[in-house]
Amino acid sequence: MVESLKSWLCGAILLVAGLMQPAFGASPSFERAGFAVGLCGDGAAQSRVLDALIRSSGEVTAEDLAFAGILLGGLLERRLVCLGDTAVLLEKAGAPDGREVVSGGVRSTNGGRSPVLGLRQRGLVETALGISALIAGETVELRRKGLAAVERRMAGVPDAVLVRAQDNESDAGLKTAIGVAAQGAALSSPDPARRLAAIRAVAEALSGAAFSRLSALKSDPAYRADPAFRAALEAAIAKVERAVWIGNGLALLYNGLSFASILFMAAAGLAIIFGLMGVINLAQGEFIMVGAYAAYAVQEAFRRFAPGFLDLYLLAAIPVAFFAAAMVGIVIEALILRHLYRRPLMSLLATWAVSLFLINFVRVVFGSQNLQFAMPSYVSGGVPLYADFIVTWNRLFAIAFAAITLVLTLLILKRSPLGLDIRAVTQNRDMAACLGIRTRRVDRLAFGFGSGLAGLAGVALCPIYSVNPGMGATFIVDSFMVVVLGGVGTVIGTLVAALGIGGANVLIEPFYGAVAAKVIVLVGIILFLQRRPEGLFAVRRRR
Amino acid sequence: MSALTIDNLSVVFGRFRALDELSLAIDPGEVRAVIGPNGAGKTTLLDAITGIAKPTSGRIMLGDDLDLTRRSEAEIARAGVRRKFQKPSVFPALTVRENLEIGCGLDCPISERSDRIAVSLAETGLETRADTLAGSLAHGEKQWLEIGMVLASQPKLVLLDEPVAGLSDAETARTADLIRSLRRPDRAILVIEHDMAFVEAIADRVTVLHEGRTLFEGGMEGARADSRVIEVFLGR
Amino acid sequence: MLAAVIGLVLAGALAILLLQPAPYLVNMVGQLAAFAILAVSLDLVWGYLGILSLGHGLFFAIGGYVCAMHLLSHAYAVTGVAPDLMQFMGWKTLPIYWSGLASAPYALVVALVLSAAIAFLFGYASFRSRVNGVYFSIISQALVYVAMLLMFRNDTGLGGNNGMTGFPLLFGYPIGAPGMVTGLAVATLLALALILVVTRALVVGRIGRRMLACRDDEARLRTLGYSTTRLKLWIWCLSATIAAIAGILYVPQVGIINPRVLSPDLSIEIAVWVAIGGMGRLGGAVIGAVAVNALKFWLSAAMPEVWPFILSGLVLVVVLGLPNGLLDLAALRLKPTWLRRGGRLG
Repeated sequence: MVESLKSWLCGAILLVAGLMQPAFGASPSFERAGFAVGLCGDGAAQSRVLDALIRSSGEVTAEDLAFAGILLGGLLERRLVCLGDTAVLLEKAGAPDGREVVSGGVRSTNGGRSPVLGLRQRGLVETALGISALIAGETVELRRKGLAAVERRMAGVPDAVLVRAQDNESDAGLKTAIGVAAQGAALSSPDPARRLAAIRAVAEALSGAAFSRLSALKSDPAYRADPAFRAALEAAIAKVERAVWIGNGLALLYNGLSFASILFMAAAGLAIIFGLMGVINLAQGEFIMVGAYAAYAVQEAFRRFAPGFLDLYLLAAIPVAFFAAAMVGIVIEALILRHLYRRPLMSLLATWAVSLFLINFVRVVFGSQNLQFAMPSYVSGGVPLYADFIVTWNRLFAIAFAAITLVLTLLILKRSPLGLDIRAVTQNRDMAACLGIRTRRVDRLAFGFGSGLAGLAGVALCPIYSVNPGMGATFIVDSFMVVVLGGVGTVIGTLVAALGIGGANVLIEPFYGAVAAKVIVLVGIILFLQRRPEGLFAVRRRR
Repeated sequence: MSALTIDNLSVVFGRFRALDELSLAIDPGEVRAVIGPNGAGKTTLLDAITGIAKPTSGRIMLGDDLDLTRRSEAEIARAGVRRKFQKPSVFPALTVRENLEIGCGLDCPISERSDRIAVSLAETGLETRADTLAGSLAHGEKQWLEIGMVLASQPKLVLLDEPVAGLSDAETARTADLIRSLRRPDRAILVIEHDMAFVEAIADRVTVLHEGRTLFEGGMEGARADSRVIEVFLGR
Repeated sequence: MLAAVIGLVLAGALAILLLQPAPYLVNMVGQLAAFAILAVSLDLVWGYLGILSLGHGLFFAIGGYVCAMHLLSHAYAVTGVAPDLMQFMGWKTLPIYWSGLASAPYALVVALVLSAAIAFLFGYASFRSRVNGVYFSIISQALVYVAMLLMFRNDTGLGGNNGMTGFPLLFGYPIGAPGMVTGLAVATLLALALILVVTRALVVGRIGRRMLACRDDEARLRTLGYSTTRLKLWIWCLSATIAAIAGILYVPQVGIINPRVLSPDLSIEIAVWVAIGGMGRLGGAVIGAVAVNALKFWLSAAMPEVWPFILSGLVLVVVLGLPNGLLDLAALRLKPTWLRRGGRLG
């Protein structure tokens, strides 16, 4: 702190020469020579001039404040030498001569002495230095340090200083910080009217930070003593609390929606495959992983061949991940699952073996650490929307992605020839086969499609969650529950169930913890199945 | 008194009314055939009686005092209702004898069990195959075994769902004999069948179902003469 | 074949008593026998009833945790030395739900009743609403997964992440003594033999025939007047109890229990043992559990990188090529008896 003020002093050495002239922008309430003499006086005299400077620092010109800052900096570093009715500022402590502070002329320090600061006076000096830096500092950094110094001694700083600093400040971030500091100052102001105004002003912020600042005031003596203060504070707290509650609620819903989006993408493929073939793919989580690793490979390819377009890799990864996961799915269907359609329980074991293989294969090839993804601009940051609720782009990306996937899936199932075949085989395999539908080929394509959807989920989640060989396990049990709850072979059921389970998980978590959320969701599903064993939207079939 | 009374029974799947306020009564000792085109509700009727499909409205009474409408499948079966499914449904991992033993049901006294099994084996002509796994029987043999399982339970009401579908003429004749041997004064039999000659050979009366309703009820000759029946079966 | 397996198990127990092999070997045999009991418990519901539980680790863990609680509170009662767990949890005394567990018979009853009760609740809810097949499998998997998350929490009061370990005494004697290792292994082998005899009597009898009938066509069995829900529920609870016995015998032999026994992967592995040994045959379950775990003991020490690949390859080979598991290799029989062994639900 002192270091940086010192460096500011060095930087301002050129300014000093100009300031040494009898100032043309002199303030009516500030007199340079008198200030210097006062600093050279006893403790009482020092306090007097420092108090006066601080009190009037709202009006004193920036030049005078800078001048005072230089003098005070010198004083702290013992570079200020008093010579009777004047003072000399040295280049460095102990030098034989220096410049006379007001006129700027060179004077010997012979017979002079450096004034000594008492504890109280040192505090005043630091306050004044802070004010000087805050208002007259050359760089944002200096002004920020000045603000920090001022905030530490807020009680002794006139409100006008912060108002002035805020008005003059050009840096947006610092301007806001000064505003917050000003509110804080006003909150503890001795003037009741100003406190009330400040409470109202703070309440405008509608943030968790504002809430905790206001709540802290409940322990203020005035809370008990002053009914007006109490009423105003409680109204303000209620207002902020409600806003924060709504904001947090929105944030929760938003997180739930993004989690549900990924669940939906993971589970939609599962549900289609299950409806069609009665097979639950325990390796679906690993298809998500394949999608995420494909996105990583695309990123590395961009890094090597087109570093200028690196930002676009996530979009380019979408088709790559889809086809990578779909290919893995089709290969597995052709090699393994094809033989197991009449033995669905065995297909559980077979797909588990596939997942074990994929996890360990990726672990051997890529290692088991988390992959590092470059975050393109369109998935980093976000927009503050209300109170503490920020719409983060990475989650919005996942949500939008899932929405598009939903629409495309519905289009493919309802409008495309493949979709018609899938629905026909789902509803009556034998009849479909009689009508000339090549059911085995439909199975294979549908399996590839379902696997591809899981690959897409992998792309959608890599800006949000960590990507490693074991990542599939995070989602897989939840997506199975989505299939159970949603019912077999219905995309809308899957969607509703994903929203329900994702939402329930995220909504219960803050109150009872993540584990309790899972317990409650599982018990809820089992109870739900008591009433509707076929799930939410089952396709009714005859025995 | 009737062996089975069905009163205003409706079974609705979504918007589809599989049975639409159907009423039907079967006397003890009667063999009743239910015929009708595909989708008329024949199998749904059996599902409703055996508790597999839950009626939307209406009542099903066994005898005078037992309401089957809200009972579970197992309770209905233990009340003396047995069904032979359209697809032969025997337990492939059990032998013929073990199948018949299961067929006797929980309420069969242990002292009677071996007698009943022996009788069923004799009636169905499967004595020589008693220790064969049912899964390795021929199609016709499975049908007979299933009828034998029905026989072993000594039911009050027998429901047969297309017992001769897919059988040869000789097997069909043998099956008709078997069903006649099931006949007893205190037992009602309800047969669903497409084969008119077979129906004529075994049934006392026929009920013609169409779109979940009764179109005709009476003797087979009457059914053949009825203009609406002819229209439904031939007219399209 | 089952008689041969039972004979081998008894011969193993006798050999341990007579030959006194190295304690680590005896201990390994004891652990394998515990796994074999676990496999038998799953085969009972999967092979004979068509219910594939992917959550059987839950019942194993219940047995194991209750046994660990017994061992700790027993040692505390005898020695007065507070177990590490109490320090870890910051307890002055053991909480109320530990009371009485120092008594071995009471702990045994608690383990068996608790596992049966939880199995009953879950089974009743599932079977009543006719949740079966793959649905049942993945819901049971979710059950064990949730249980794992629960036990990973420290505030559950059962050791959290670290689980429970450091059991000094069993029935008042030091647990590490060679005689104790032998005793535990022999007891486990005898338990295995006894369980095989009892379950065999069950599956060849009238109940066993109903189980096979239920496995192959549950709806049909219902229309013959049998309450399949009740049948499945009884066998399911019995199976859970047997799994708990396996857990009880396992924990003193390995000296630790932690939430990892609740990982869904372990529960699937149980099914893998059964599938590899040959489901629907009790002897097959024993052979599968012993073969896979012996291989695992050896390979996961010798080539830990390779083991998962071998396991997945083994599963695929068995599932695709040997529907009756290793028994196919052993017998290579082509008689149509596959119906009884393999079953349609596969």
